[in-house]
Amino acid sequence: MTTDDMLLEVRGLKKHFPIRSGFLRRVTGTVKAVDGIDFHIKKGETLGLVGESGCGKSTAGRALLRLHEPTAGEIIFNDPTLGKVDVAKLDRTTMLKLRPNMQIIFQDPFTSLNPRLTVGQIVGEPLEIQHRASGSELIDRVAELLNEVGIRPENMSRYPHAFSGGQRQRIGIARALALNPKLIVCDEPVSALDVSIQAQVLNLLGELQAKYGLAYLFVGHDLSVIEHISDRVAVMYVGYIVEMAKTDKLYFTPKHPYTEALLNAIPKADPRMRTRPIRLQGEVPSPANPPSGCYFHPRCRYAKDICKQERPPLQDIGDEHFVACHFAKELSLVGVQPLNDIKLEMPVKKS
Amino acid sequence: MTNQSTTTTTDDVVRVEDLKVNFYTQLGVVRALNGVSFNIPRGKVLGIVGESGCGKSITGMSIMQLVASAGKTEGGKILFNESAGGNQVNILDYERNSPEMRKIRGNNISMIFQEPMSSLNPCYTISDQIEEAIRLHQTNDNVESRKRAIDVLTKVGMPNPDRIADSFPHELSGGMRQRAMIAMALSCTPTLLIADEPTTALDVTTEASILDLMRELQSEIGTSIMFITHNMGVVAQMCDEVAVMYLGRVVERATVDDIFYEPRHPYTIALLQSIPRLGRTKGRLASIEGSVPDPYSRVSGCPFHPRCPVAIKGVCDTILPEETIVDAAKGHTVRCHLYS
Repeated sequence: MTTDDMLLEVRGLKKHFPIRSGFLRRVTGTVKAVDGIDFHIKKGETLGLVGESGCGKSTAGRALLRLHEPTAGEIIFNDPTLGKVDVAKLDRTTMLKLRPNMQIIFQDPFTSLNPRLTVGQIVGEPLEIQHRASGSELIDRVAELLNEVGIRPENMSRYPHAFSGGQRQRIGIARALALNPKLIVCDEPVSALDVSIQAQVLNLLGELQAKYGLAYLFVGHDLSVIEHISDRVAVMYVGYIVEMAKTDKLYFTPKHPYTEALLNAIPKADPRMRTRPIRLQGEVPSPANPPSGCYFHPRCRYAKDICKQERPPLQDIGDEHFVACHFAKELSLVGVQPLNDIKLEMPVKKS
Repeated sequence: MTNQSTTTTTDDVVRVEDLKVNFYTQLGVVRALNGVSFNIPRGKVLGIVGESGCGKSITGMSIMQLVASAGKTEGGKILFNESAGGNQVNILDYERNSPEMRKIRGNNISMIFQEPMSSLNPCYTISDQIEEAIRLHQTNDNVESRKRAIDVLTKVGMPNPDRIADSFPHELSGGMRQRAMIAMALSCTPTLLIADEPTTALDVTTEASILDLMRELQSEIGTSIMFITHNMGVVAQMCDEVAVMYLGRVVERATVDDIFYEPRHPYTIALLQSIPRLGRTKGRLASIEGSVPDPYSRVSGCPFHPRCPVAIKGVCDTILPEETIVDAAKGHTVRCHLYS
């Protein structure tokens, strides 16, 4: 692997939110939403980022684009024109030059499109801001983008309310694509959609990736969807990455007890494979007041004394498999079993 | 209608026959339910699956008579049978707020709603809200009702039930709130529990423990459950029988094993093809073309024909298919011209 394959390298990324209270709004604590995570994304690759609500996965995705100003850490982005730059330290003007290459698709298609702009204006706005096109050229480009995502260009002058959830998400994708980005952060792009529409959007994302060599950071909580779309997967728990590996490795041979519990909890779409869940004790700790040592130890079945005292670092156990667990090499954990291969074919009329 | 599956003599808690509900809005009439028929066998879990707008929640609300006033029930029967061999009553014969209906609602039939935050009253403690149902239906004694509330909270696996009973909904996490909702629904040991997407708002580990809890309570108390969901994974894990709904109609009805291993209706098949299967699907997912039609429009013939890859021209777009039995022994029925 040459270093030029590398599109994004994140080192020690932190995002802390202050908690203010009292009359003077003094800072009385911090929510460590993201507390030092490292990962990389190669060109044309999809990295899935999973975790339960409040684990900091969306914050991490947004901090990459500086939609949240990172508290600390480096975000090295390999820009085709600017070369390798640390996004976290760029000034406003350089950041504006970089933005076309990093885009985002938001979770909720109903709140992420401005209701007072037409679809044409929404998709054309990035082109105008970056002075890429104007006049009839702009309209042509917008029409082309809408075609690409399967929206009829005639609908360009309509407003977002006239579209269904799936169509709105397509409009959001067209907007993200407008400037030919290299990396798109997909922040739960399909979790608000119905299953049949979800499949359409996932297919579209796959096609666009193949066509334009896009890299995705795919933030999600549905482990079946993440497994389907990702080349590699990172699991987050209370602000940290606890495990990161190639998709198959992570799903079939997990090395972190939290990953094991998460995989076990997936509702498997097969009535002949009913499982009893691993009952996790207690609740996900608050990132404002995390436990000592390994954050997962109060809920972990394998926890020993050392887990209460020391926080395990994320270490490579070979073949790009990173785990943050003191006993990663000793534990033998259970992954998922592939579901039974059921042949589903459309019926034909018997004459 | 011929070939009705509901004519069997099994002991059903609820039998819904040809239920029609229309909503009269300023923009036109929404035909939410166009003749829904199904039955829930006693002690079983029936899953109602479908995408948004197919009428699955309205079906649940109709049984509780909780449909908003714009919705008019314009035909059909909901036959409720409290105990085996007991008196069968048609819920729709009662006025929404009649004493008879109020006696059934929350006592014999209770419901768990999707959003645990918006369905609990933020001004009352958990125990107040659970005791309300107990005092209304079971006992007047304050001490006794408090004791029962604590009991039921213990039963749903709430840590420190005494303390939780006196806390307000905002002090609890999503999973705990949903446990409180389940406790409330179970407080009067209902004959039928309607669970309307009870785990959709929850994280997967919490979802798994709530499903496990419901399964456990179901085998313990013997409550029949109508489980409304759009998640095929949850259906596979939770239900005994399944009714697949599309545009206000049940299009396929079978045991859970048949739905996954021998689905017949093109919609059921397409739905199963469009979900990523763990360790199996790579590349493209088979997706259903188009989207669910506008609720104000009426589709002629089979409601699924505009999106159906195997629709027969001249038949599917003009004639509404009847419910046909494909496997009588297992009670597998389907509404599709390919099987008639």
